[in-house]
Amino acid sequence: MRKEIFKVLVKRCFTSILVLFLLLTFLFILLRISPGDPSLKFISPELSPKLTALVKKSFSLEDSFLTQYKTFILNLSKGEFGISYTYRVPVVQVIKRTLPFTIIFSLVSFIIQISCGFLLSLKAVKRINGITDRIISKTSLAVYAIPSFVAGVFLIYIFSEKLNVLPSSGLCSFDTESYTTIQKLFDYAQHLILPLITLSLNGIAVFFKYLRDNLEEVYNKPFVEYLRANGFTEKDIVRKHIIPNAINPLISIAGVELGLLFGGALITEVIFALPGMGRLTVNAILSRDYPLVTGCTFVAGILVILTNLCADIIKAVLDKRIAKGILN
Amino acid sequence: MLNKFKIRQLILVFAFILLLIRLNVFVNTFLMILLYAQLFITLPSFAYAQLNFPFIDIIASVALFVIIIIYLLTAGKRIKLFHRNIDFTSFVIVLLLSFFLFAPVITDKNPDFQKDLSVTKLLPPFSRVKVLHLKDDYINSDNIVDKFVRLKDYVIKKSFDESIIFIDSISTGDKLDYYQGGTAFPIANNKVIFKNNIPLITTRTFILGTDELGRDIFTRLIYGARISLFVGLGSVLISMLLGLFLGFFAGYSEGFVDTVLNRLTDMFLAFPVIFFIILVIALFGNSLPGVIVVLGFSGWMSLFKIVRSEVISIKNKDFFVSAQLIGLSNINLLLKETLPYIFIPVVVNLVFQYGNIILAEAALSYLGLGTGSSYPSWGSMIEAGQNYLSQAWWMILFPGLALFLALFAANSLGRKISSYFNPQLKT
Repeated sequence: MRKEIFKVLVKRCFTSILVLFLLLTFLFILLRISPGDPSLKFISPELSPKLTALVKKSFSLEDSFLTQYKTFILNLSKGEFGISYTYRVPVVQVIKRTLPFTIIFSLVSFIIQISCGFLLSLKAVKRINGITDRIISKTSLAVYAIPSFVAGVFLIYIFSEKLNVLPSSGLCSFDTESYTTIQKLFDYAQHLILPLITLSLNGIAVFFKYLRDNLEEVYNKPFVEYLRANGFTEKDIVRKHIIPNAINPLISIAGVELGLLFGGALITEVIFALPGMGRLTVNAILSRDYPLVTGCTFVAGILVILTNLCADIIKAVLDKRIAKGILN
Repeated sequence: MLNKFKIRQLILVFAFILLLIRLNVFVNTFLMILLYAQLFITLPSFAYAQLNFPFIDIIASVALFVIIIIYLLTAGKRIKLFHRNIDFTSFVIVLLLSFFLFAPVITDKNPDFQKDLSVTKLLPPFSRVKVLHLKDDYINSDNIVDKFVRLKDYVIKKSFDESIIFIDSISTGDKLDYYQGGTAFPIANNKVIFKNNIPLITTRTFILGTDELGRDIFTRLIYGARISLFVGLGSVLISMLLGLFLGFFAGYSEGFVDTVLNRLTDMFLAFPVIFFIILVIALFGNSLPGVIVVLGFSGWMSLFKIVRSEVISIKNKDFFVSAQLIGLSNINLLLKETLPYIFIPVVVNLVFQYGNIILAEAALSYLGLGTGSSYPSWGSMIEAGQNYLSQAWWMILFPGLALFLALFAANSLGRKISSYFNPQLKT
């Protein structure tokens, strides 16, 4: 059994890498067939023709398509993405600066989404179709329809403009050098409250909806009635029997959601001017920074694949009967 | 209280209110159409030169309006859909659809109309502005062309108007001075229309306020509904075609093509699609058709999954096999045998997809990558309002609300359809 699962895992990793490779190739083709030349940005009319040719050559965008692709693949296999056109440093370094923020930010938001959705659905399911349930369900439907940029801008309006209690943008204040560590952490936290709310609102609604429906379904199953008849306390039934049964379908959704978050919470980052992967990617796209676009896509792809894989492994561990089917 | 009424009554009430408020527009449009018909016979080349989008737009709006009213009063009486009770969703949908269809009739301004910035910019909702009327240079003649041009200028709103001036106040005396933003401007007496020996001054109300360029937010909101719904419609159509054909193809043929397509869809579903959309738009330029195509191409994956799995499940059923054996072509197999079977899940998916695309279009416009500045869009309105957050909350509230309502309506319509066709399914 274990050997089989290992085999399936290896196969899965292989196909994932193949998909990623296809994605990067697709991206490469898309970038190369698009009109415009990114090297023109670095050439001023005052440069001598010789120097112009030299600059153009350094981008090696004049080479034939296949040569470019060959170097691209060779560099990729060595783990090199080249030098970012805008930042003039290796792409890996640029990504290294932004990736930690994105990972922490997404993880915190993810935890908020899961825990809030979980708590709310437990509250709602206590009395199905009761007043709490109906209020939370209706609210969650409404919250789900709020676009994140509308929510974010309104949060800024209320908390930054009117009440003036929270900062409206950026990751930290200007004068953080003199702060002690605790003050710095407090400063970061203050700056991240509004972005986290903005990013998490929709996710909370999604998780709530799924969990509530699952919980309700399990609640109505005969075995719950049987347990109740046997004199188990309601608390025990919920904790030991209902939640484990209801949580399984949620894991794959959670995996996809986390993967999307790792790709970068673009809108939230734009509203609050945060230095995340989403904004880095889009800025790279807009400034035609080909190596950086490729690097960002690669990182996002790896993270998406990893999170989905993790979700499936967790699911397989929880329910060994379906292990092979899931991982395939 | 609201749900005692039927949808048919709601539409008729809307139509009645619209008719009351804009009676002059309707009457003048009819006159214009009559004159145009005359012109078309006498001066075909001139008539042909007058055809442009706003002209056709208003004629189509008025014609459609009349047709819908007549239909509802006669044949539409018996249609079941119009006899459903009103709820919030249907109310919003009727409202948005009427914005979409009758935009030039509902508002009396051009979405790009701007004039006298110092008076009109960043006005709060329900603010009234004084308007000074100037003499225009129309010739009062019975010539049919002059009459037509005059009517056309009255009915079709332009983005500029030389015959009015927005003012703060005006000095009374021998020499006329009007004030704009604290500065006095002299104006010759013979240019102004006088009524009872005082200059003719009316007021104009901006129901939802104005933006930073003095444009009416209400008008822009209504034209923005047009863009949103239009982009949604086009993209959903593309998604539907792609999803249906590829899904049918993959499910029907199985084997290598199926595997490849399935993997591709998985890839697209797992990655944040917004980056792909931005990449394509940034690289190949943003135009309205471009945005529609890209959004359409980014939304077919979920439909593909549904169609594929359904096709695989019905492929071995008797009716499908017998249809195959009779010799139906592949297209007929899809249209006549498969489509009726999978109609409901497809429709539900497309309605949800519609909501997603409206949201994606607004997000693109918010990022400045939408349909460009030539069309008012809810997303770009919000983006512009963000810079004036401390001064003008109305610039964000109303487009935000419109967007929220549209998304909410799309989502709950999707849920309603699926629960209508599968009553045992809990929603």
